[in-house]
Amino acid sequence: MQDYMDARRFFPALDRQIYGKPLVYFDNAATAQRPQAVLDLQQRLCVEADGNVHRAVHKLGAEATDFYEAGREAVRSYLNAPGRENVIFTSGTTASINLVATCFCQRYVAPGDRILVSEAEHHSNIVSWQLACERCGASLEVLPVDEAGEISVEVLQQRLEKAAGRIKLLAVAHISNVLGIVNPVREIIETAHRYEVPVLLDGAQGIVHEKVDVQALDCDFYAFSGHKIYAPTGIGVLYGKTRWLAEMPPYMGGGEMIETVRFEKTTFAPLPLKFEAGTPNFVAGACFAPALETARQLAEDPQLQDNQCAMRDFLLEELPRIPGLRIYGLPRDRQRKIPLFSFTLDGAFPADLAQILDKMGIAVRSGHMCAEPLLRRFGQTSMLRASLAPYNTLAECETFLAALRRAAAMLR
Amino acid sequence: MNTIQEIQADIVEEFAVFTDWMDKYEYLIELGKNMPLIDEKDKTDDHLIRGCQSRVWLSCRQEEGKLFFAADSDAIITKGIISLLLKVYNGQTPEAILAADEAFIEKIGLRENLSPTRANGLVSMIQTIKGYAAAAVDQAARPAGKNDLESDVIVALRQVYDPEIPVNIYDLGLIYDIQADADGQVFIRMTLTAPNCPIADDVVAQVREAVADVPGVKDVQVDLVFEPEWTTDRMSEEAKLELGML
Repeated sequence: MQDYMDARRFFPALDRQIYGKPLVYFDNAATAQRPQAVLDLQQRLCVEADGNVHRAVHKLGAEATDFYEAGREAVRSYLNAPGRENVIFTSGTTASINLVATCFCQRYVAPGDRILVSEAEHHSNIVSWQLACERCGASLEVLPVDEAGEISVEVLQQRLEKAAGRIKLLAVAHISNVLGIVNPVREIIETAHRYEVPVLLDGAQGIVHEKVDVQALDCDFYAFSGHKIYAPTGIGVLYGKTRWLAEMPPYMGGGEMIETVRFEKTTFAPLPLKFEAGTPNFVAGACFAPALETARQLAEDPQLQDNQCAMRDFLLEELPRIPGLRIYGLPRDRQRKIPLFSFTLDGAFPADLAQILDKMGIAVRSGHMCAEPLLRRFGQTSMLRASLAPYNTLAECETFLAALRRAAAMLR
Repeated sequence: MNTIQEIQADIVEEFAVFTDWMDKYEYLIELGKNMPLIDEKDKTDDHLIRGCQSRVWLSCRQEEGKLFFAADSDAIITKGIISLLLKVYNGQTPEAILAADEAFIEKIGLRENLSPTRANGLVSMIQTIKGYAAAAVDQAARPAGKNDLESDVIVALRQVYDPEIPVNIYDLGLIYDIQADADGQVFIRMTLTAPNCPIADDVVAQVREAVADVPGVKDVQVDLVFEPEWTTDRMSEEAKLELGML
């Protein structure tokens, strides 16, 4: 019927049967499935070009380096970053945030200073800062979200005004992994910059659902993972403005991040390699090229876009019809909601629901979603989350709803 | 009283009638709903086993050489499985509990619920049950009247878990030194599996609480060190076996 069914053909995993039923994969916010183009490149590099990058003179190493750097260029162009020196490969969003937390705080944060994070952050964007604050005698300050799950730019401004220069950085999710709300990052960044506070965006979800132009956004750092945007696991990106990256000390010491090593003093390689100690996951890095190409195709297909909105609207309409169901993260403007739904259901515990849905072939997430403080803000210890990708269908949404009703009936 | 093996065999037989997972789960849910619950007042952090999917509470009392457990969980399927475990273990001697295995869970097709990665608290709960049994055996083996504070402290430490690892911190080898003097002053030097462990404060607080609860202990001092570094060589044989490293 619709063209968007074609998108499914890129992703071989979607044909799987689970306990004899067709897989309905609704845990895309945790890991998205990989398209054939990524699987092919992965296989090809492992077979043909498994030589170490940036150091080997031989053909295998040279080819591996070319592919790895092509992956970097694909990321640079996708983000519209000014240059390759602004694109650092890491092992994932968590590693990217930890890098900034460690190195930025070491360079710019003094005892008594503060780091501001929102209440709706993933643990990676909380604990990294807690650890860094502890090391440099700074403290963590929390920007609240309202009952709908939204951040108020006005409250942010009041906080910055009151802090009078003590806040050294604002770390906030582009899109919360629990609420699925696109935060007003442009306004947030503008406001923070008026107070000369740099902003790190946790883009783990944002990179998948929004068009990200780091220069237009003017964010100081943007962190994301490969495995949520169709690349393999174990690779991630840190985008940073040159002014910060050039001044921050290196994160880890080791191979390829040096210029010269003497026991008295070591000098470091230019960006981005300064932050890429050790042999990187170059196969996964190279895979950003086909992965982001897939992401671009999916994002530019108007029918797939319509389908995403249709699925979102359908679930926003239908989920609340189930008695006792409460969705967390309902922005005033529906267009700012991505097709990601975290909810609780009276009388049915999320882990139980997830376990029963699994038996029906449906993959969803349950638990604290790595965002305990946010769940606690809504009085919960656990939620169920369905997160959709462009390759999901309305028919799957219907299957999911029917299964959810059935599971709830079993538990109540 | 039937033996553990007999009760397990009964449960396996009971489950054999279910031909599809739906009936099995419905039965578990039923069991979970009717399980004898832990006293609300006992639902304290001392009795709490944390998992990222759900929480489990477990308490134990001893009567005439037999152990009796009560539990609760916020997940009903987990509760159903707990109720099977309690059916097996309640009223058994500590020695029998220590000698038993949980293979029947696999036989009734619920193995995935006991996978250590499941994080639903069940695996830690079984370890805690065994910990209670081991403590009861230790207690019984001690000469009457002799108050050996250090071994009591060890018994208490065996009740403390890193939430991600189904082996108690004592058998993991995280405790480097225990000194208990006659005045009830206890000093513990310990480490963690990783220096940047995000729950370090939690674990240390749990150690402090567990030891403070030992009769005769007046003051606890915990020194957290990362020198020497912990390695898997420090684990007991049982711990290695438990984690499939042998």
